Amino acid sequence: MANKKDVGPSTPKRHNRFVRYWINLGARIKGWFVDKWTAIKDFFGGFRNRNPKQVEADLVLNDGPQLTRGEKFRRGMKAQSGWLFVAPALILMLVFTFWPILAAFINAFKQNYNSLSGTYEGIGFENFVRVIRGDTGTGGASFNQCLVNTLLFTIISVPLSTLLALIISVALNSIKALQKAYQTILFLPYLTNSLAMGAVFATFFTIIGTEKNIETVGLVNNVLQGLGLAPVEWIKASSPVWNLGAIKIPWAKYIVVIVYEVWSGLPFKILILFSAMQSINKQYYDAAKVDGASRNTILWRITAPMVSPQISYLLVTGIMGGMKQYTAIVGIFGEQMGTNYDMGTVVGYIYRYVDNGQYGYAFAGSILLFLIIMVITWINNKVTKKHTTYR
Amino acid sequence: MRISIQHLTKIFPSRTKGGAAVHAVEDMCIEIPSGKLVGLLGPSGCGKSTTLFMLSGLESPSSGKILFDDQDVTTLAAEKRGIGLVFQNYALYPHMTVEQNIRFPLDNMRIKKEEGNARALDAARLVQIEDLMARKPNELSGGQQQRVAIARALVKMPNVLLLDEPLSNLDARLRLQTREEIKRIQRETGITTVFVTHDQEEAMSICDIMVVMKLGVVQQIGEPQSIYDDPNNLFVANFLGTPPINIFKGRIEGGRVYIGGEVVAQTNYDDREVYVGIRPEGFIYDAEGALTLPVDHIEVMGRDKSVVATHESSTKPTVRCIIDSDVMLPAGATELKFNIKPYKLFLFDAETEERLR
Repeated sequence: MANKKDVGPSTPKRHNRFVRYWINLGARIKGWFVDKWTAIKDFFGGFRNRNPKQVEADLVLNDGPQLTRGEKFRRGMKAQSGWLFVAPALILMLVFTFWPILAAFINAFKQNYNSLSGTYEGIGFENFVRVIRGDTGTGGASFNQCLVNTLLFTIISVPLSTLLALIISVALNSIKALQKAYQTILFLPYLTNSLAMGAVFATFFTIIGTEKNIETVGLVNNVLQGLGLAPVEWIKASSPVWNLGAIKIPWAKYIVVIVYEVWSGLPFKILILFSAMQSINKQYYDAAKVDGASRNTILWRITAPMVSPQISYLLVTGIMGGMKQYTAIVGIFGEQMGTNYDMGTVVGYIYRYVDNGQYGYAFAGSILLFLIIMVITWINNKVTKKHTTYR
Repeated sequence: MRISIQHLTKIFPSRTKGGAAVHAVEDMCIEIPSGKLVGLLGPSGCGKSTTLFMLSGLESPSSGKILFDDQDVTTLAAEKRGIGLVFQNYALYPHMTVEQNIRFPLDNMRIKKEEGNARALDAARLVQIEDLMARKPNELSGGQQQRVAIARALVKMPNVLLLDEPLSNLDARLRLQTREEIKRIQRETGITTVFVTHDQEEAMSICDIMVVMKLGVVQQIGEPQSIYDDPNNLFVANFLGTPPINIFKGRIEGGRVYIGGEVVAQTNYDDREVYVGIRPEGFIYDAEGALTLPVDHIEVMGRDKSVVATHESSTKPTVRCIIDSDVMLPAGATELKFNIKPYKLFLFDAETEERLR
């Protein structure tokens, strides 16, 4: 504790209260530094000549509190040293993750929030109501349209790519020659930038030229023409659309996105499933062979259940990732995300309102997305827990 | 079903370039009569499991033939041979219940549900696990898991039942119980059964026919007792019996068999160096006996006692003699003399290690 200087009876001159206060304070501050200095000196000195047995003996004899200042400091530091290692990550997460989440939650309820001045015109659910009603005063696809887009992309592409990955992994697992080479090739898309892949996909599907003078119909349409079908406008504004009242489904564009998502999701899924399959004991397959199981039976009754923990992991993370899809859409359809944002995803919607400064809607949208992902993941866990075998 | 193995050979190519290929099984010929329990016995790496897997069809032989009755099944796929195979670690599917595991072979045969259920229950009854049908394999003990594995192999009514080290994953007590169980099941079903083991006691106790193997080569085939009483060579004599046989370095001189300076038996063979094998139960205490053994200590087992001795000609550190407990031995003797029962004494050529009969 602070070495309180005795300014009482032994001092001949008695100061007034004001001066006494400052002397006292100064003494306490000095005492604090002296104390820490003693602790540090003891601490380092302690390292040099600390005899562990002697320390233990002191501890028993003196009943703990009589330890040297340095020993106490050292023990305290040791007990709490975990924090020291966590601190760098923790500080960064507090600043860049937890604070923004908290801020988004708070600001989502501020009406007409001005990010520069920090002013707002009331607190309530108005942002949410306007976002859900599509009453945000700007053009482009509504939140609901974006949500439908996102959900459909996810619900179709994630199970499809997981299924394909399962089948490809089984095939990969059953070949011996060039297995490593195929594995490497299949993993390559994972290392490719998603914007670059989007651009490549766009060229596969885009018709270049004017209506009267088409230069090329794109790779996919070439194939369709080869099969005797009419070329489809996959990317541009004239692309075919189903109108369902407030919601529009530009199905041709959907196909482009889903093909892209399935393809780009494959490598990681194959990696996970393939390595899981390699760790399955070969005797199960020998037993199945003796018991006359067909390839189909082996896949669906042995391999798939054995990798079911990995499948459920891929479905859960795939759906979470799918709900946050954004870059691929920009890569394929450009910054406008199709025609007037008609291919927009929920994250795309949020970015749009960050861009034009209407932060309130962006915050509300992100809170809604958070809630939706939370609910989906909860359902997911309930369902997969029931159907997953853990070895 | 009768099994006939003719000149069966399995050669595994070397893993490293230019290394020697491994001859796991060499020129094996066995005739197995229908309905017998056959044990393949040998130390690890002797090719007994490889033989079993070739019988099952999971491994294909490098040369030679396998006949089931008169049908050549050498190149037939495993699922068409009509065999049941029990793996060493059982290979039960962890995500299926016991019932689903047992039914699995039937499902593959597209057998109707009611009949399948009935047959699965029959198989479960046979191995006494009908109360455990709804459990998953990881909720069963090792012994129960093994019963499930046997039930799964039996449910399709195989012509041949193959067991790979069926008892090695069980604890000592369960092992005794299970080996009798296997014998019972085999007798009840009458299925020709081949099982693999490295435990001679296990093989001796339940086999009808025993096949002793070493480094891929069959050493001797026969009933357990006859192999024990009449081993073909030093390896077989050494491998069978607990406590193991005592082996002495000896020689034949003028029709007499010498161990050290003492004559222990008569023979018609020419003079040569030999190994003399004497079973522990082949010693008779006699104050005027032929063989003198310096006694180390005596273990009293109740039913009998075992004299642990040393001898300078013995190839093992100790010599063990088992004698009846009612034979009175002189107290505190440092040396005992024994006569040898002639039919418990075997002579082996010192070079070839083959038996001199």
